Amino acid sequence: MLLWIGIIVVIIIAFFALIYWGFYNKIIRTENRIDNSWAQIDVQLRRRADLIPNLMETVKGYMKHEREVLENVTKARSALMSAKTPQENINADNMLTGALKSLFAVSENYPDLKANQNFLNLQDELTHTEDKIAYSRQHYNDSVLSYNNTIETFPGLWFAKRMNRKTKEMLEIPEASKELPKVSF
Amino acid sequence: MGKRILIEDQIRRNKQLTIIICTFMALLFIAVVFAFGYIFFNNIYIALAFGLPIALVYVGITYSFSVQTVLSAAKARPANPRIREEKLLIYKVEEMAIAAGLPTPKVYVQDSENINAFATGKKPEKSIICVTTGALNKLKTDELEGVMGHEMSHIKNYDILIATVTIAVVGTIALISEILFYSLFWGGAGRGRKSEGNAILLVLAILLIILAPIFSRLTYLMISRRREYLADSNGAYLTRNPEGLAKALEKIKTDLPSEKPKGSKTVAPLYIANPFKRSGSSKGSIWATHPPIDERIRRLRSM
Repeated sequence: MLLWIGIIVVIIIAFFALIYWGFYNKIIRTENRIDNSWAQIDVQLRRRADLIPNLMETVKGYMKHEREVLENVTKARSALMSAKTPQENINADNMLTGALKSLFAVSENYPDLKANQNFLNLQDELTHTEDKIAYSRQHYNDSVLSYNNTIETFPGLWFAKRMNRKTKEMLEIPEASKELPKVSF
Repeated sequence: MGKRILIEDQIRRNKQLTIIICTFMALLFIAVVFAFGYIFFNNIYIALAFGLPIALVYVGITYSFSVQTVLSAAKARPANPRIREEKLLIYKVEEMAIAAGLPTPKVYVQDSENINAFATGKKPEKSIICVTTGALNKLKTDELEGVMGHEMSHIKNYDILIATVTIAVVGTIALISEILFYSLFWGGAGRGRKSEGNAILLVLAILLIILAPIFSRLTYLMISRRREYLADSNGAYLTRNPEGLAKALEKIKTDLPSEKPKGSKTVAPLYIANPFKRSGSSKGSIWATHPPIDERIRRLRSM
């Protein structure tokens, strides 16, 4: 009789140990996914910043008189390089997107530039990095959601308290600038 | 338009149904193996001892060669970044991989006028997506993105593994069934049986082995359709744009196959739409690997 009780107790303890193991790992895993997805965003942002000097070189011969548009792009790039927190990074990148949109709109006036293969490739690639950043942000927010769900629902809630974990914030996507880029003829 | 369903709820429901159907398939397999053992040896465990290894070897072999088989059957070539359309395709696949949190799959292209795409690969980290040139020409950006989201979801959900294992189980059940038939004709069952055993059970076991191949095939097709719905809903979640895939499916519906598709029929479930189907009949049947296109479009639009 005592043996049976002993066996049942062991099984119950093993059961709870497994649950503990499972949830501990899940919290760690979802947390790591957040860090990983932030690293992804960072990689894309760096790539974007790296493409800009090349772009400036290509267009400056053609767009000599568009100083304001070109300066906006350079300013946005500096803001991006000096951003520290994830939200600052996203805001700076948004500014860069706006500045680039103006630049590409203005480039419509320069058929020679539009025929330049290098310019076209850069345009494709910059658009591509924009999309990649948007999806990286989406994945970041998905990871945060997964993590928050784990530590806010029961029984993850209990583990979170013991492991001293708090809910994380999602990245806000700033409102894209609604004004149309000014194109002067 | 049907009632609005959250994408997340659709995903969860599709996953639950897959588990239920797969469990049924596993039980069917075990039942067949036991029946076989009962008929031949009056001992169900011997059969399990040799049925299980057969199934595992079958799965192992088909899985190892799955990638080469599919790629060469489709005559696919790697995407060429110098061609702008293919470069943009590679970009799209990269973006979907980021959204899914996976490394970028290799991108292949199949020269074909029909709109279609498939995914293959041994594990999510080392996979391949192939798209037809027809799809590149005929689909707009958001539609192509929807299709890529669908394929990426297949990869992320281990659908290739599930399909391979399921087909192998179906194959093993068919094999066992065939062995039984031949031995009934020539050897007579009961060889090696020590006692008479229960006659009714014997009949039931034989019946099971006759019907099992049909049931297992139907079950496999049910699983295939369920995974297609799951890939649709997961794909829509990745792109946050169900309408893109919906529009692509509409184009696929009216895109009649112009040439005989290459490869054997077993690769059909990997494609986004069955390439072996005659004309654009969209009514569903229990023998279809893919759900009816109209229903897929309806579900996407109700998200």
